[in-house]
Amino acid sequence: MSFAPRTNPVQRAPGLRPEPGTPLYVHVPFCVAKCTYCDFYSVAAEGQDLPGALDALLLEAERRAPPRPRTVFLGGGTPSFYSVDELARLLDGLDRWSHFRASAEEVTCECNPESLDFPKARALRELGVDRLSIGFQSLEQGILALFGRVHDAEQSFAAFHAAREAGFQRVSIDLIYGVPGQELARWEVDLERVLALRPDHVSAYQLTYEDGTPLAAQLQAGAFQRLDEDQELAFFEATRGRLADAGYEQYEVSNFSLNGQQCSHNVNYWSNGPYLGIGPSAVSKLASTRFGNARSITPWRAALAAGRFPAAWEETPEPSVRLGETWWLGLRTRRGVEPAEVLRTAGFEGSDPTLRLQESLLELGFLEQSAGRMRLTARGWPVADAVARRFLEACAEQTSPRLPRE
Amino acid sequence: MDPKLIRNFSIIAHIDHGKSTLADRLLEACGAVEKREMHAQHLDSMELERERGITIKAKAVTIWHVHEGVRYQLNLIDTPGHVDFNYEVQKSLQACEGALLLVDASQGVEAQSVANAYLAVEAGLAIVPVLNKIDLAHARPDEVTEEIESAIGIDATDALRVSAKTGQGVPDVLRAIIEKIPPPVCSPDDPLRALIVDAVYDEYRGIIVYLRMFDGTLRVGDKVEMLGSGKVFEAIELGRFLPKMQKSESLGAGEVGYFISNIKHLGDVKIGDTLALHKGAKVEMLPGYRPPQPMVFADFYPTNNGDFEKLRTALETLALTDASFTYEPVTSDALGFGFRCGFLGLLHMEIIQERLEREFDLDMIQTAPTVTYRIVKHGGESVDIHSAGQLPSPDHYEKLLEPIARVSILIPAEYIGPMMQIAADHRGEFIRQEYLSQTRVQLVYDLPLAEIIYDFYDKLKSATHGYGTLNYEVKGFHENELVKLRILVNNEEVDALSTICHKDQAEYRGRATIKKLRKEIARHLFEIPIQAAVGGRIIARETISALRKDVLAKCYGGDISRKRKLLEKQKEGKRRMRQVGNVDIPQKAFLAVLGDREGDDAK
Repeated sequence: MSFAPRTNPVQRAPGLRPEPGTPLYVHVPFCVAKCTYCDFYSVAAEGQDLPGALDALLLEAERRAPPRPRTVFLGGGTPSFYSVDELARLLDGLDRWSHFRASAEEVTCECNPESLDFPKARALRELGVDRLSIGFQSLEQGILALFGRVHDAEQSFAAFHAAREAGFQRVSIDLIYGVPGQELARWEVDLERVLALRPDHVSAYQLTYEDGTPLAAQLQAGAFQRLDEDQELAFFEATRGRLADAGYEQYEVSNFSLNGQQCSHNVNYWSNGPYLGIGPSAVSKLASTRFGNARSITPWRAALAAGRFPAAWEETPEPSVRLGETWWLGLRTRRGVEPAEVLRTAGFEGSDPTLRLQESLLELGFLEQSAGRMRLTARGWPVADAVARRFLEACAEQTSPRLPRE
Repeated sequence: MDPKLIRNFSIIAHIDHGKSTLADRLLEACGAVEKREMHAQHLDSMELERERGITIKAKAVTIWHVHEGVRYQLNLIDTPGHVDFNYEVQKSLQACEGALLLVDASQGVEAQSVANAYLAVEAGLAIVPVLNKIDLAHARPDEVTEEIESAIGIDATDALRVSAKTGQGVPDVLRAIIEKIPPPVCSPDDPLRALIVDAVYDEYRGIIVYLRMFDGTLRVGDKVEMLGSGKVFEAIELGRFLPKMQKSESLGAGEVGYFISNIKHLGDVKIGDTLALHKGAKVEMLPGYRPPQPMVFADFYPTNNGDFEKLRTALETLALTDASFTYEPVTSDALGFGFRCGFLGLLHMEIIQERLEREFDLDMIQTAPTVTYRIVKHGGESVDIHSAGQLPSPDHYEKLLEPIARVSILIPAEYIGPMMQIAADHRGEFIRQEYLSQTRVQLVYDLPLAEIIYDFYDKLKSATHGYGTLNYEVKGFHENELVKLRILVNNEEVDALSTICHKDQAEYRGRATIKKLRKEIARHLFEIPIQAAVGGRIIARETISALRKDVLAKCYGGDISRKRKLLEKQKEGKRRMRQVGNVDIPQKAFLAVLGDREGDDAK
């Protein structure tokens, strides 16, 4: 992946300081092996300078970590790839610079089944982590092989049990469905097996072919055929239907919670709130500026070592763009949005350019309104992006140049 | 200059029959242009002209030629060869006393040369037939001579036989110009009268006016009045094109040359106007040109809305030298702000479009051409309309008329069958058929102009392997069973896509149109019916199904900027979308329907 949103110089970001409480994201860029669908930044760990990267993460935390974050999320990569000692060094260091253990209501660590056993789970628990997200992805061996995963279903179950044993109340399971060749009936059976574990949270993603991934390349080369739109829709509907029946609330397009156990850290993203990310490729949003670190360990470390600000890009969207963005993100959630609040969040002044669109989408049955909030209807969920584009358009038109005089 | 030593002439020729090459040879033979500084085809100065092998703007070049010890001034006034430019030809001929009728000795007489030769004959000009390309192995001069005689009705027995390419026979042409074309009839001693033959805009010097002097003498410093417009100018510079500009202190009766007066306003010069001395003796205006009514209309929209004023200026500039071209501002729900332009014909339209793009660097969208229709209201009043959108509902008028053209088609005899079929398919009414020689036939039809501009010309060309030519002249308006074909998207009419057509063609054209639209309109959140209708009757329907699944699975803090851009990219071109009945119709869809007719043949 060579994606960098902007090459424009980073000007505003270094001057921005996170408010106390700002959610903290920590990117651990190592995996045993790279999965074929994944477009997050990570490298195979073998031969890498893991302790050195850890030093750099802590150096960055020292300089940039927000005081007393409300939530902490260790993502990657595979944070569980680190040894117990290294995890201790990481979490102790993070706490020294942010005091998250005293402040955070939610501290999540992403784990992969091959690197989560009971001792590690217990260590994480003791180090202040209170929520684990385990990447099952699939129970089908053929799909795990297609994805380049290095574990099997049995290891996934074992990891889940280890987490429970270690005392984790909050355990989320990541799943991917809608894979070429996958049968819907088989997926439904696998989903049942996962739900039988009663995780308090499930992230179920329809397979996405991200540009630049090996999977997308294979698709392009005709190695397999993507499910057609109706099949994808059937998977999507079956998944949310089954999860609803089991008592899970679809609180976001791909996220389901039991007993209200939503991931607060992620909910903040969908509210278009501020956050601070450390680690290579990690993105931060402070005030109206979003900026990201270099998407590679070497330049990221070099910048930190030289005392430079590690961001490689930044963008400060116009208020009208922020408005469209806030609608888009908010409508991904069950909670939906409150139009006046969106205007405030985006810092948009002037009359709401989305009013007509709201009306038309209400009329067409894609939006519904209750208690002053707008949300997608059952019909709206599967086409959330099409709806989002219309909001982005409606807001962008606000700033389009005027037509010439007659 | 003694008018007796002046010859003013033009060359009438079909495209590719060698007019520009002959003109070059004449310049070269008289030393007007050194061979080494010749670049092929000197008169076609516009890049576009050279590329297309046709001459768009009339220009005048003065050649000095010594014949039997006497120095003559030969003024070659250039004429365009294409059917669309009859009006330009008329302008050129009015400044001449004679014309060379140049015919390719292998191709034979073509419809346009016949039409232009008629104009010359009618204008009382001496016609000198010249057979060109005589060096070609398949030249058939005897037969072509016969064709000239039967098609135009002039004696062509002593037609000159030349090769402009090799120079063979060129001296004979010069001799014929002097001996067969009469000198101008004019009075050097009468008060000044000159005809404005043409004008070009020069960025640095203002407007350069081409003059054909009739009476009197024009001198540098003279104050002159344009009798038609009443504008007064001082002659700052006078001269001739040799073909380079050469200044002169004066221009005498019968001569052709240029006039510069630092004129900046395009509207100040009217081609066909008469120039006379300001505050001099009253003189009669010379007969000017009657600009023909444009019969073919198309809309030009700048691709960037911001270029609207630039387009307006460009159109003004072009209209300066082309009174046959009209334009007026128009707005379209679909395409924004633009101009509805009137043209003499299809080629005229293409030329204008290309000039706008090349000379003015404008990027434009052009709609498919339509013709002028005429409605007769119940009270008998008639109104011309230039687009289907202007057509009121049928109860508001009594008759709907369309322009009918008399079409003359010249083809090799073996293509008579297919040609008659094409004419019948295009609602043609057979008038007559005439053999010009054993191998060439002239067919005459009355054909709705709408059919000619639709695809008749293309069909003619392909059916005759490019050998067929046509010329047409609009004869008048006839009532026909015409209907307005309406296009509805999501149950709302899209005015810009409505057309007028014959009732028998409505269903086919309606189906073709909605099929194109179906391909170009993206799926929406809801199902979109696309319909073609005549009156209230739906004659064809297509449906664009609704989007069913369109949502990103993952969206977290690290993705937001990138995924938003992805969404924005997917909506790219939104500025070029028009909303009709809640449906975003991309400009591409309008162009697919309005712009080109490709794919219509796929029945």
